[in-house]
Amino acid sequence: MALPLSRQKALREWKLYFFVIPSVLLVATFSYFPAMSAIYHSFFDWQGGDNKQLIGWANFKRALGDQVLWDSFKTVSILIAFNVVKMIPSILIAVLIHRLKSDRAQYLYRVALVVPMIVPGLVTLFIWKFFFDPNLGVLNNILDFTGMKTLLVNIDQFFGWGVFFDNVPVGWLSQPELILPALFIWGFPWIGTVGVLIYLAGLQSIGQEVYEAAELDGVGPFKKFLYIELPLILTQVRLSLILLMIGTLKDFGNQLLLLGDAGGPGGVGMVPALWMYNRAFIAGEFGYACSIGMILFLFILGLTYVNNKYVRVEK
Amino acid sequence: MSGALKDAVGSYKQKDWPKHLVILAFIIIELFPFYMMMQVSFKDNASFIQAPWLPTPPFSVTETYVDPAAPVSAAGVESPAERVKQRAARWSEVFSGEVAPPRGDPTFREGELRFDLGVYKLNNWVFGLKLIGPYIANTVFVAVTGTVVTLALAILGAYFFARYKMPFSGAIWGAFMVLMLLPGVANLVPLFTLLKDLSLLNTLWALIIVGIAGGQVFNLFVLRNFIEDLPKDLFEAAEIDGASHFKQIVNVVIPMSGPIIGTLAILAFLGKWNDYLLPLVVMRDKELFTLGVGLIYLDGEYVKNWGQIMAAYFIASIPLIVIFLFCMRLFVRGLSAGAVKG
Repeated sequence: MALPLSRQKALREWKLYFFVIPSVLLVATFSYFPAMSAIYHSFFDWQGGDNKQLIGWANFKRALGDQVLWDSFKTVSILIAFNVVKMIPSILIAVLIHRLKSDRAQYLYRVALVVPMIVPGLVTLFIWKFFFDPNLGVLNNILDFTGMKTLLVNIDQFFGWGVFFDNVPVGWLSQPELILPALFIWGFPWIGTVGVLIYLAGLQSIGQEVYEAAELDGVGPFKKFLYIELPLILTQVRLSLILLMIGTLKDFGNQLLLLGDAGGPGGVGMVPALWMYNRAFIAGEFGYACSIGMILFLFILGLTYVNNKYVRVEK
Repeated sequence: MSGALKDAVGSYKQKDWPKHLVILAFIIIELFPFYMMMQVSFKDNASFIQAPWLPTPPFSVTETYVDPAAPVSAAGVESPAERVKQRAARWSEVFSGEVAPPRGDPTFREGELRFDLGVYKLNNWVFGLKLIGPYIANTVFVAVTGTVVTLALAILGAYFFARYKMPFSGAIWGAFMVLMLLPGVANLVPLFTLLKDLSLLNTLWALIIVGIAGGQVFNLFVLRNFIEDLPKDLFEAAEIDGASHFKQIVNVVIPMSGPIIGTLAILAFLGKWNDYLLPLVVMRDKELFTLGVGLIYLDGEYVKNWGQIMAAYFIASIPLIVIFLFCMRLFVRGLSAGAVKG
C-alpha cells in the first residue's frame, strides 16, 4: 500500500501533484464533461447547434412510446441470447486444450488462437460481409456445393416460410427474415480468443489433487467436466457472461457496418445504440439521442451493478 | 509442469488424438476466413468465380486454342495470333496494373498447361497498397503517439497514487474508478460537439487525445497495483541517493515494470488500431482517414473487385502481424491479462 503522509511532508512533496494533473485534466475534459453534457442535454430539444430549448421529460416520454426503440431492445436481447450460446465452443475448446498432455501442443494451440486477434476486427467483419454476399459469397457457395440449398428449399416449402427459393441466391443481409439468422451464423465457429484464454487461466488454477481424487473414483471425462471443470471456472464464465451482455448492449459497430445505419431492410437489425447513432447523426436530433443514451446507460449500470455485486474476480 | 502431473489432468486411459482432432477442426474453421482473404487477394473476379476455393495453380490453362466451329465472340479478340501476343504481354500487364483479359470466355478451349505466374494478380496488391498505404501511415501515427503518451501519463499518475497517500489522492482515485462504470456509448454525441467546439473535428489530434483520455483509467488501475507491489527499499535507496521523483520513475519504476508496460502497450496499440467508431464520426477528409474509416469507405465506394479489396485487407493486417511475430509471448500473455481486468 501507498504510505500515508503527514500533512507537513505532503506539503513538501507538493510537486507530486503535477504527475497526476495531466491525467485528471484529460479525463475531466474528455470523459466527465461529455457524460455530464449528455445528462444535461437529454432534457433539451437540441439539434447540435447553439439553439436549444428546455423541454423537461419530453424526450424520455417520447422514448417510452418509441416503437423502434422497444423493438431494438427486443433485438438486442435476442442477440445477447445468441452470444450466450456462442460462448459454448470457447469453453469446450479451453477444456480440450487444458486436458492435452503435451505442454508444447497447448502452447501452439494458444498461439493459433491468438492469430485471429492480429487481423484487425474490421477486416474480419468485412470478410464475413463478403461471405454473406448473395452472388459471390462463400456461404451461398457452400450451400450450393454441399446440396444444403436444396434441403433448405424443401424445408421452406414444407413450412411455407417463403424465404429460400431454387435458383435465387440467398440474400443473407438483404432479406429481413434472414438478418437475425445471419447475425447468429456470424463468426462461426465462435471461438473467442479472449474467452478461451480466460477459461484456460481458470482451468490451470485447478489443483491436481482434485483430478487425482476423481481419477480414483473412476469419473469419466464428461462427468469430470460437469463436476470439476465447469464449477471451478464458473467465476470466469460468469465474468465473461456479464462482460458479453454489457458489450452486446453497447455495441452497434457490427450492425452499422453489416446492415447500414437504418438497421437493414425493415430495420430488423436495429439495436438501441444504433438507434441513438441514427437519431443523432442521421436525423440530427441530438437531444433525443442523448436521452436514448441515458436509457441505455441505466441498463448498463444495472448490469455493472450485478457484475460487481455477484461476480467476484479473485486474482 | 512435469509429465506425471499432466497425466493426472487427462486420464491415463484417454488418448490425446481425438482432442487434437476436435481442436484442429475448430481452429481450421476459425482460420478459414483468413485463408480465403489470402488466396482471393491473388485473383480477379473472373478467376474467383471459376475456382473460389483453392489458390490458383501457377499454370495458364486457357486461351491456347479456339474452337473453329464456335463463332468468334464479342470479346474483342480476333485471331489466334492476337491471342498469343496478348499472353506474351501478360507479364508486363501484371506489373503495369492493367486488367488481364477475362479468363472465363466460352470460346477459349483449355489446351496445354503452361507454367505461368501471370495468373497471380499481383496488381491487386499494388492497387491495395496505393489505396490503403496513406491510411496505414495515419493509423500508425495515431496509434504510436496515442500509445506512448497514454502510457507515459499513466505511469506518472500511477506513481502519484502508489508512492504516497497524499491529501485528496483517495478522492481523485475514486473519481477515476467511477469512470469504469460509465459506458462510453452515451458520450459519443456530446463528445462530437465538444470536439467541434475545440475545432478538433477532422484532425488526427482528436483521435489521439480522446484515445489518451480513454486509456487513462484502465492503465492507471493496472500500473498502480503493480508499482505498489515493488519493494519499497528500492525507492528509499534512490531517495537517499538524492533522486527526484521523476528520476525514481525513470530509474526504478520503468526498469522494474518492463513486461507489464509492454503488455499494456500492446493492448493499447491493438485497441487504437481496431478503433473505427470515433474516426467514422470525426473524420471527413479522405487524406486524414485512419484504417478503420478507410476500410469502411473501401467497402462502400468501389465497384467490388474482391481481389483488390482482399489484398487491401491483408495489407491492413501486416503491421499487426509484424508486431505479433516479434513479441508473441507478450501478446499471448497480454490478452490473457487484459481479459481478466473486466
